[in-house]
Amino acid sequence: MAAFALAIGAPVTAQGLPTDPITLAAGRVALGGDLSVVASCAHLPDGAGCGEDTGFFNYTDYKRSTVRLARLAFSASVRANRQFSFLTEVRSENGERPEPYALYARIRPWPTHAFDLQVGRIPPTFGTFGRRTYASDNLLIGYPLAYQYLTSLRPDAVPADADALLRMRGRGWLSNFTLGNTTPAHGLPLVSASRWDTGIQAHAAASWADASVAVTNGSLGNPRVSDDNAGKQVAGRVSLRPTPGLAIGVSGARAPYLTRDLLRAVVRESHSNAFNQTALGIDLEYSRDYYLLRAETIVSHWQLPTLEPALSATSLMVEGRYKLRPGRYVAARVDHLGFNEIVGTTRTAGWDAPLTRIEVGGGYRLQRNLELKMSVQRNVRDDGRVPRLTIGSAQIVFWF
Amino acid sequence: MRRILVCALLGLVASLADSREGLTARNGLIRGRVDLRRPAPPLGRRPNVAGLGAPPAHDHEDRLRSVVYLETAPRGAFEQYEGGRARMDQRNETFVPHVLAITAGTTVDFPNSDRIYHNVFSLSKAQPFDLGRYAVGRSKSVRFDRPGIVRVFCDIHSHMSAFILVFNHPFYAMTDAEGRYRIENVPPGTYNVIAWNEGVASEARPTTVPDGATAEVDFSLR
Repeated sequence: MAAFALAIGAPVTAQGLPTDPITLAAGRVALGGDLSVVASCAHLPDGAGCGEDTGFFNYTDYKRSTVRLARLAFSASVRANRQFSFLTEVRSENGERPEPYALYARIRPWPTHAFDLQVGRIPPTFGTFGRRTYASDNLLIGYPLAYQYLTSLRPDAVPADADALLRMRGRGWLSNFTLGNTTPAHGLPLVSASRWDTGIQAHAAASWADASVAVTNGSLGNPRVSDDNAGKQVAGRVSLRPTPGLAIGVSGARAPYLTRDLLRAVVRESHSNAFNQTALGIDLEYSRDYYLLRAETIVSHWQLPTLEPALSATSLMVEGRYKLRPGRYVAARVDHLGFNEIVGTTRTAGWDAPLTRIEVGGGYRLQRNLELKMSVQRNVRDDGRVPRLTIGSAQIVFWF
Repeated sequence: MRRILVCALLGLVASLADSREGLTARNGLIRGRVDLRRPAPPLGRRPNVAGLGAPPAHDHEDRLRSVVYLETAPRGAFEQYEGGRARMDQRNETFVPHVLAITAGTTVDFPNSDRIYHNVFSLSKAQPFDLGRYAVGRSKSVRFDRPGIVRVFCDIHSHMSAFILVFNHPFYAMTDAEGRYRIENVPPGTYNVIAWNEGVASEARPTTVPDGATAEVDFSLR
């Protein structure tokens, strides 16, 4: 009898690397991992080839750039029973000591109702990008400006006057002021996606909407484990899903953001609670078939003891993705961050340098959880030592 | 004389036909049981520390079902197959069934029965595809022409996964809830029989199917 071999005759698995989380104790314990390595090359102005991000456009502090970063993260969820679970994520960036990025208890008081309390170092309530913690959730490699770009404002130092603030335009990666801590240090983003805040969060969900509110120690730009400012942050978010594929969200947050040490040194009076960061965000996501579209705008106000009126910044980001073939997509993001004008003795200008970033790129999945991304971003800033810079980046992401 | 010759030829043909009919083999049956020593545990969700609340419950995949198939099959066993249809539903954030065994040429429908978007895709070499995002009540289809194992995922819900085993012959069977299987209509001969469960395959078991009779093959996996 003639015979022929089947293509699937041998012991086989469909893909090479593990794709599923590790589960123990009958599924009560789940372990996951996430590895992301990003390399980048900035086009040097003199055409000398490949260099670093000398404009500090992508830095999240003085040492760390989102486009030159190796990150290893392990996450775990332990479900004690139907009402209690514990979740954590430990991260190491660029080989540094691992730190808990998330560490909290999740309590569902009534198991049949979608209402949860989360206590500890909790996920962000405000906006959307802060909860896209995994590199695979980011369509591109760079972060949206509102969640990463460092303004010159600091929690532990304030400018003496408008001129002192204007001198720091485009220098958020290493700003310094004469009041408070005079050591140069990085400033604050509108919303930090690099760290999570500590506190308590309540969340309720229905099929067409969900809402959450949180009270935490830090502020949007400066999430904290221990409280060092004059009060708690209150943040809330409502998200509506009127139809599958469409989500519209509104977020708000208000928190004192200046440190108590600074206030004692600078203000001396007892109205320290007056210096808040207040932010409002609106986000939209629409997806269908092979495309995904997101837009988000955030307006943030900061009160300072030395300047009137309050400073403000507005970000607007639009990004989209289109899948070309299985495992391959292209994506683009247009992002702008602007600042309100203040009046100095010699000029009137935005208190920080407005910035526009356009990033285009794409991704290629070698398997479901192994992805290669490449992108090119063009940064144009109105001031600073390096006002314009083009950066090419490549990222490899593996998760399970 | 010519008439005699024609009659003789007709007689010869008739007798040959009779003897051939007597030689026609009757197909047999392979049956048995697949015993899973350590069944694959239900797949957990990837820990989502960024979630604002507990994820909604979803059905656990039926990971106890195995597939038993012939590694080799009689030539021509597949030639008559014209292609049929099968269905893999997306229900309560689970692919139903979790394992689907089909013959090459079959078209599989992927209806979405959830009130949220799903995005079925596979990067398997045998049949890469991406159906994009679509809502409840809609269905998209893929025709599987090449044999192999196709791992199916949802691009939105990482805990959703399934297997489609595509064979280029019809000699395969899914096990029932007790692990029993029957591969019917197998021509007599000796074959390598393999059992598969959740990406793990047994050693090939040489099995002889007698003429019109039944061969019993039991497996123990994992």
